[in-house]
Amino acid sequence: MSHPTVTEADAHATGAHIEHDTNTGISNTKLAMWLFLASECLLFGGLITTYLLYKTPLEGPSGKDLYDIPFTSASSFVLLMSSLTMVLAVSAIERGDHHRMRVWLGATGLLGATFIAGQIYEFTAFYREGLGFTTSRFSSAFYTLTGFHGVHVTVGIIMLVSLVFLSVRGKLPEHRSETVEVVGLYWHFVDVVWILIFGIVYLIP
Amino acid sequence: MSTTISQHDPVPTEVLDGAVAPYSRDKTYVFTALFLAVVTVVEVLAVELPDFPLWSGNMLVPVLLLLMAVKFFTVAWVFMHLKFDKPILTWAFYSGLLLALGVYVMMLTMFRLWYGDSASVRSS
Repeated sequence: MSHPTVTEADAHATGAHIEHDTNTGISNTKLAMWLFLASECLLFGGLITTYLLYKTPLEGPSGKDLYDIPFTSASSFVLLMSSLTMVLAVSAIERGDHHRMRVWLGATGLLGATFIAGQIYEFTAFYREGLGFTTSRFSSAFYTLTGFHGVHVTVGIIMLVSLVFLSVRGKLPEHRSETVEVVGLYWHFVDVVWILIFGIVYLIP
Repeated sequence: MSTTISQHDPVPTEVLDGAVAPYSRDKTYVFTALFLAVVTVVEVLAVELPDFPLWSGNMLVPVLLLLMAVKFFTVAWVFMHLKFDKPILTWAFYSGLLLALGVYVMMLTMFRLWYGDSASVRSS
């Protein structure tokens, strides 16, 4: 099936998209983001493996003593729902609905910020219980893994806020909706990584 | 051939780069999120009620791994649009995922994590 192309004039029409002239038919930006996410699997795989190897502490409190499963479950739920608001933002920009896109992006950012606030609270509580970064190999592995994830969420929030500002200034027309989609891919990846961390670190005994 | 799309029409995603099928409607995304929420609740219940027959005893870890995998692939398939995009993106992502899985399963095996006598690892 031959895909319809969009002329230069139509490219400025609301909701129009330009097909990229690449060997794969996929824009380089989108392909690059997917390859980046594939490489991130190796990063987080390494951190999760290190945690699994060091999860039994030789000194200091263990995860079983500290984890607050109901609290972390609520945080996980918040991050999971942020994936929904993100995909709704992508859907809105593809319909040419800028207002809704900004609302959904704002909601995604807020949910992400709530998750980060929960993580800061959790880290503070653990520290008060005597689990510092260098207390044990378990604590180092735990804080490195969850901290790296938190940094990824924070970077995602910065990207979301940037998108809202771009949209407000009129620099995010519909034919650039792929920018929102690519940021969305990053955000969903952060969510799927947390799905793994929540299961492996908090739930599996 | 050219195409112009009016403001409130959904974008026919055949026109989008990489897409081989139209993206879902918002309702599908909401139902997917509800499904993910239910799976999360089941995960937490499995930990909080370990004596429930479905996941009691040795079944707890496999059940949790299965639920985790279901959530992971549902988000990748629906929210990340792998279902709709060209297969090359699926291959690109799953290549990285499988490489990571292979490397780290080998590493954990090397450190004898799967065996009961892994005390040497724990005390090293």
